[in-house]
Order: sequence, then C-alpha cells, then structure tokens
Amino acid sequence: MLRTLRILPRLALMYLRSQMEYRGAFWIDRIAQIITYASSFAVIWILADRFGTIAGWNWSELALLFSFHLLGYSLGACMSFTQMRQLEEAVRLGTLDTLLTKPVSPWAYMVFSGLNPGYTGHALLGIGMMGWALSIVAVPWSIGWVAYFAGALISAAMVTGATLTMIGATALIWTRSNHLYSLFFGFWELSRYPINIFPTAIQATMLSLVPLGFMAAVPVAVLLGKPVPILGDWAGPAALLAGPFFVALAMRQWRYALNRYQGAGG
Amino acid sequence: MSVYFAFARSAFLTQLAYRNEVWANMIGKLVQVFARVAIWVAIYGGSASIAGVSLEQMVTYALLGGAVTGAIRYESIVSGIGQALRTGDVAVWLLKPASFPLYVLATELGRAAFRFVILVVPTVAVVAAVYGMLPPASPFHGVMFVAFGLLAYTIIALLSALFGLVAFWLLTSFSLEWMMQAILNLLSGQLIPFWFFPAPLAVIAAHLPFAWIVYYPSAVWLGRLDVTATLAYFGLGLGWAALLAGGVALLWRKASTRIVVQGG
Repeated sequence: MLRTLRILPRLALMYLRSQMEYRGAFWIDRIAQIITYASSFAVIWILADRFGTIAGWNWSELALLFSFHLLGYSLGACMSFTQMRQLEEAVRLGTLDTLLTKPVSPWAYMVFSGLNPGYTGHALLGIGMMGWALSIVAVPWSIGWVAYFAGALISAAMVTGATLTMIGATALIWTRSNHLYSLFFGFWELSRYPINIFPTAIQATMLSLVPLGFMAAVPVAVLLGKPVPILGDWAGPAALLAGPFFVALAMRQWRYALNRYQGAGG
Repeated sequence: MSVYFAFARSAFLTQLAYRNEVWANMIGKLVQVFARVAIWVAIYGGSASIAGVSLEQMVTYALLGGAVTGAIRYESIVSGIGQALRTGDVAVWLLKPASFPLYVLATELGRAAFRFVILVVPTVAVVAAVYGMLPPASPFHGVMFVAFGLLAYTIIALLSALFGLVAFWLLTSFSLEWMMQAILNLLSGQLIPFWFFPAPLAVIAAHLPFAWIVYYPSAVWLGRLDVTATLAYFGLGLGWAALLAGGVALLWRKASTRIVVQGG
C-alpha cells in the first residue's frame, strides 16, 4: 500500500515532465484556453450588461458562479477527463490488459500517470476571476461560510471527476464510451448558468442522472442565499454530500465494470 | 470533383455505422438547443419585446443559430490537419493526385450533411414545436436564408482549414482549435446577436467574416435586413469566402514546401 502511494507522485511527475518538454507549445495552449473561457464569459457579461440581471443574478454573482464552475471543473477533470477518454482506445487496442497485470490499481495508475497539468490555464483564470468576484459580491463573510465554500468546491470537483470516470468506465463493458462525453458537455455548458432558468425536466436531470447542477449552480446559490428549485432547504447539505455520494457510486461502478471486462474481442 | 464528392459520400455513410453515437449526440443537441432557448426566455422574463426584438424572434434566432454550427465540426477540420501533420500522413497526401485540404473539407462537409439531416432538423423541429418558431419574413428572405446558409458552411469550412494550416508553423493544432472556439463564441453571433452588443463592437463584429457563419443567415430569415442590404451583405460574404479560399490555397502551397515530418 505504502509502496503504491509512493509510486503515484512519481508517475505524475513523469507525465508532467513529458508535457513540459515542449514548453512553448504548452503555454500557447494554456493562453488559448484562457482566451476561450474569457470569450464565453464575455458573452455572459454582454447579457448582464444589456439586461441587468439573468433570472435574478447580477453580473458579479454570475462571475462567481462562472469561476466556481471553472475551478471545480479543472480540479475534477485533471484527475479524470483525458485519462478516461483514453480508456476506450486502451480497451480497443488491448493496452489495458498490460495495465491489469501491474502490481498497482489500474485506476490509480491511469489517473496519476496522466494527471493533466493542462488544466493550469483553467485554474489560473478561475482563481483570478473568483478573487475578483468575491471582492465585489455582497458576501456574508464568516468562518462557517468560508468552510462551506471550500467544502462545496471540493464536492463540486468530486462530482465532476466521478461523472467523467463513470462515463469512461462504460468502455470496459461496451468498448465505446466517448460519444457519451458529448452528452456530458451538452449539460456541462448549461451548468454554468443559474439552474432556475431551465425547464423542470432539465433541472431534475441535472440534480440526479447527470448531476452537474452540483458543479456550481446549487452550491453558489446556497452561498449567496438564493432559492434552489426542487431541493429547497436541502440544497445546502445536498451540495456538500453530492461529491462523496457520486464518488462512492463511481467506485462501485468502476469495480463492477472492471470485473465484467473481457477485452474488445478479437 | 467527383473524387471529393466520393470522399464526402463515404464520410456521410460512415456516420451511419455508429448508431449509439447518433442517439447520444441527438440527446446532447436537444438539451443544448432547449437550454439556449431557455436562457432567452429567462432573460426576457415576461417582457414581450426588448430593443425592438420580440421573444418569438429571439427564440427563432436561437434555433436557427444552431443550424450551421450544430452540423459542422470545425474542430475535426483543424485537428484533422493537425493530426495528419503529427503522424506524418500528410507526406503521403503529397504523392496523391488529390488536394489534401480539399479532402479534409469534403469529408467534414459529408459528415456535416449527415448531422444536418439526422441531428439538426429533428432537434430544431422538436424545440420549435414546444416554444414556437417564426416563418421567414418573406419568400425572398426564405430563399436568401438558404443561400446564406450554404455560404455559412463554406466560410466556416475555409476558416477551419486556414486555422488548421497554421499548425504547420506552430506544430500544434490544440491551441488553434480553442482559438477558433473563442472566435465563434463571441464574433459569429452564435450565442448573442449583434443587435444586443455594445455599439462599436457590434459594427466591427458585423463586418468580420465570422458574422456570416451564424448572424447573417438568421438575421435574413427574420427580415432584419431589407432586400438591398440582404443582397449587399451576400456579396460581401462572397468576397470574404473568396479571400479565405485564396488564403487557404496560398497557405497550403507555402506549407507543403516546408513540411518536416517529425520523428520519422
């Protein structure tokens, strides 16, 4: 166990080194990502500037929502997205089989040997924007509020990682999973807006089957004292518990899928 | 020409092989279109008209906005060129009696035709049935919408190829895909029509080639441009398309003389 734990940072470091080999390209890519997210946010800014508020959220509150979403997503996705997207290919080519024979958990090996430093751009923009938003939003500062903020952010990252992992793991059974990521990103785009603007069916989906409502819309509404549809007073604890709950679910599903894995055939 | 048509046809048919993917994409698309409309309904929040634009017009704009960008995947063109460069496949293309950029464009247009029929038309129809959609402002505007739509496909395909070819100098297409997304978000009118933009930005955006990808086709359908303006902007769009085509040809000629296949 201890040996396994010791090897994980080394795996992560190796991947980091390989990524930083082309340092110029690495930073050009990060800058391009920052510009793209900034353009998405500019769209929200134009809307808020033109119309004052969107569903009762003003411009600085929307900035907090956007930055919370970006930061939670980058924390969760660096542990899951690119690694799990490769799983389909690993199943198809049979390279997953070599992983199964290693004396280390296949999940831990995959996640840490591909711990993605590419999310630095997301994180930099997210932290910068969050600091700025927190300085202008009317926040009821207290130790409890800050603790809830931190807990909700970790929970949001866990929901993201768990969802992306569960999608990837379906490749172990069905050999194909990447088309489900387009479904994920359809909902992901919505999850950076206040959840109350969507029809009830979409709200309900985003709080259960595709739990991306917990990525930002629910916790930030709780933090700002705004009403949350469907969940009501339960929104506060639900946002904190969603992360551990979906991680536990993802772990169960991962084990189940791995037990069922038979290779791509041929 | 028939060669490129065959490439497009085979790309169209290949899509049929992955039915699960079609279902997932269809649900994803439906959610996205519903959501974009829901955002406008929330913004209007009960008022019938803002800045002379009714909610019905805005919903129609949001539905039409996905007609072009919902079918074509600019990223497959950009990354298709980038990948051919990375794997060295591009060198093989230089030996073939067909143009590589035209091959990439033909296959993506084939896939776009598939997505248009299977994904875009049904999802727009479903959301239109729920929220309502306005017909074209006049028969003239209806016909011109089709012309503008075809021009939109041409312009986005050429722009993607142009971005993709820049990878020959940058040696990575990743950042180019993201930059293209940034431009489409803001300057194509995909998410917000220019009439809601702050004044100077609106004028600039309306004359850049990206505006022909989403803004003009939808604005023409809604009758926001009169007959003269419609024809004038169509001409201007054709001019942009010609310029972009020239740019792609020039960049490809320059790029093909400096190909260094890496790590061979």
